[in-house]
Amino acid sequence: MLVKPSRRAAAALAGLGLLLVGCAKDAPQDTFRPAGENARDIDGLQRPLFYVAGVVGLIVFAFIGYAMWKFRDRGQEIPEQSHGNPKLEIVLTVLPAVILAAFAVPAVSQVFALDKSDNECVINVTGQQWWWEYDYEKGSTCGGVEIPESIVTAGELVIPADTPVLLRITSRDVIHSFWIPRLNGKRDAVPGRLHTLRMHADEPGIYVGQCTEFCGLSHARMRQAAVALDTADFQAWVDNQLAPYQAPAEGTLAAEGESEYAAQCSRCHQVNGLTDDSGNPVLAEPDQSVLAGAAPNLTNLMTRTAFAGWTFDLISDECRDRLWNEPSETFGDVYLQGVWMYTPADATTPACFNELNLREWLRNPPAMKPMYTDPDKLEATDGLTRGMPNLNLTDEQIEVLVAYLLERK
Amino acid sequence: MFTTGSKLLFGASALSLVTALVYAWSTEGALSSAGTLGLLSLFVIFAFLGGVNYANRDCNVSSMDEAAVDTAAAAQRPGASSVWPAVVALGIAGLVVGAVSKPAVFKVAVVVLLAGLVEWMVLGWSERAGGDAAFNADTRRRMLHPLEFPVLGALALGAIVYAFSRLMLRLDKDQGRIAFGVVAALVLAGAFLFAGKRKPSKRAVLGISTVAAIALLGAGVASALQGQRSIDEHPTTRTDTEVCLQVGADEEIDADATQSVSATSNLVANIYLKADGSLVAHVSGYPDEARAQLTVPRRAQVNLLFHNESDEAQRLTARTGEGEDESLVCTAAVEEGDQAFLSFQAVRGGVLLVPGLVGGEIELLVP
Repeated sequence: MLVKPSRRAAAALAGLGLLLVGCAKDAPQDTFRPAGENARDIDGLQRPLFYVAGVVGLIVFAFIGYAMWKFRDRGQEIPEQSHGNPKLEIVLTVLPAVILAAFAVPAVSQVFALDKSDNECVINVTGQQWWWEYDYEKGSTCGGVEIPESIVTAGELVIPADTPVLLRITSRDVIHSFWIPRLNGKRDAVPGRLHTLRMHADEPGIYVGQCTEFCGLSHARMRQAAVALDTADFQAWVDNQLAPYQAPAEGTLAAEGESEYAAQCSRCHQVNGLTDDSGNPVLAEPDQSVLAGAAPNLTNLMTRTAFAGWTFDLISDECRDRLWNEPSETFGDVYLQGVWMYTPADATTPACFNELNLREWLRNPPAMKPMYTDPDKLEATDGLTRGMPNLNLTDEQIEVLVAYLLERK
Repeated sequence: MFTTGSKLLFGASALSLVTALVYAWSTEGALSSAGTLGLLSLFVIFAFLGGVNYANRDCNVSSMDEAAVDTAAAAQRPGASSVWPAVVALGIAGLVVGAVSKPAVFKVAVVVLLAGLVEWMVLGWSERAGGDAAFNADTRRRMLHPLEFPVLGALALGAIVYAFSRLMLRLDKDQGRIAFGVVAALVLAGAFLFAGKRKPSKRAVLGISTVAAIALLGAGVASALQGQRSIDEHPTTRTDTEVCLQVGADEEIDADATQSVSATSNLVANIYLKADGSLVAHVSGYPDEARAQLTVPRRAQVNLLFHNESDEAQRLTARTGEGEDESLVCTAAVEEGDQAFLSFQAVRGGVLLVPGLVGGEIELLVP
């Protein structure tokens, strides 16, 4: 059957378009732009492999194309049929075997080379539907910075730049996979098992990734980032994470928000230092409500640039673009400002805060991110949700909660 | 009006009924006895057969209607012998038995009955599809083989799987080795024999396959009747206070058991009770460091391997939470030089300890 020229042109254009996708510059998850030692090692292996495989692929497709064109059906007689060509078959068996054997040497060497133990920082990474939790161990040292108390955060993994970091990865519910393409390969997070993955970022910056093991309804919205800071900035980040709780000033919206938070949010979300009317610490018990038994720690929410599985920005698009393109020398200074980045010193409201996203989220989380929270469909989990349910908050409640959360910096 | 044959059968039916009534009247408890049931069954059977005889006039067409010599059903070419009437009868009997015994029997009987009826109907129809018997048979094949072959194949596969599973659940470890070793050897020997022949006899292949299938099914049914072997449970952890916190508790857990083979890798930490009485953790990520502190994620499964390097049996206990929230889980009493696996989840912090070991605790942090 003949193909119409217009269809051929459309197919060719589609192919060309597909090819040009590879030229995208705004591609933060590009494995061919390594930004650390481990990713560079992998890149050094995959590039020659890719080139050779590409050349082999081109040759094979050229032969197939030639054969299809040369011997196309023009109504001619079927030529004499032959069977077997030992010389050709031997060549076509030995040649790929030699190529594969040649690549096996550097590939296997690389596997062993990536297994190093000179870690200067160990961070626990725990996956659950659909966000990542990171905890820094009490009494440990990370890139020369002391961690005197445990730090728990979510979404953004903050690491010291130019430092070998070891991630200890596990999961609370189903299998996930942690991947920051520009810093290293991926590693599965499996319940009951502990897998390790080395991270190394050459210089300060933000490196984006996402879960790469299908893990349920919102798998596509389970994203994460690694933020690398130089030692001084990392020290400042640690100090800020461990700073004492700052209660809102009395009579403010934020003070009302604190009560609302204690009533509505603290069942699952922890804010370190928050106390009840009797002065006792308010401790979250997410295992009473959430199947995974955990919810993001919100102590320093406004130091992060995204929330809810690092899916929705806490900063505006403009600020995000500026931050992501910030030179490494100034990146840390800007990042540490959180949603207050790029805000004039005399301003009273943060210039970059994406309030709309947070309000919408508080109004109805499952409407923004599909989750298993319908009370009528939770028999299988004994009433426990997977994700954050709709709390049916009023506009007034949302108003005061946003004011309170804005002070969690 | 009644034919000779039907008179005899109706008479026998009436006699059965009368006998049943007399028996029931004269015998105590006869209403529910097998005797009454049998006589009533005879009454029904004789009545049914009498009805059949009456309907076809004792198949004696010539005596009643000479013109029917050519047109009566009995004068037509007889159908091929068929198993389906018997299957239908089996289905009906199954319905009755199932109604008074087990619902499963009833359900199977319904399936058998429906299958038998469909097959019988299609067979009956196809035998009148044309004048050529070969054509009729081919018509039936084309209609029913696409249904019969997958169903029979699935049934055969199910029977094989069922027989194998019952057999393996019945045999213990040693018997299994012997049985399947012998079977494998026989298969290999048979394969050698067949491979040596250029053209194996069809009859021999069929015979061996039939014998093998019968042997497998027979062994499976015999195993199912005997029930599965007893399987010992091997708990590796306990959660009782008297076991987990007391020194030298008598009650032991099966020290040979392993909770999961794979769980011995990818551990959060190896916990060592040293000969000098110290308890230390070698934590993944801190390869050369003996730590007295272990951080574990909240409500995530934690797997530890306890190594007892002391000179007496000891157990490792994880105690988390306080007061009413306190939770205990411990290993078996591990012999000196041996090791055991401990798996738990923690919601609050606590300690890892060896009962009776003073000062040798590892702090368990749950951020």
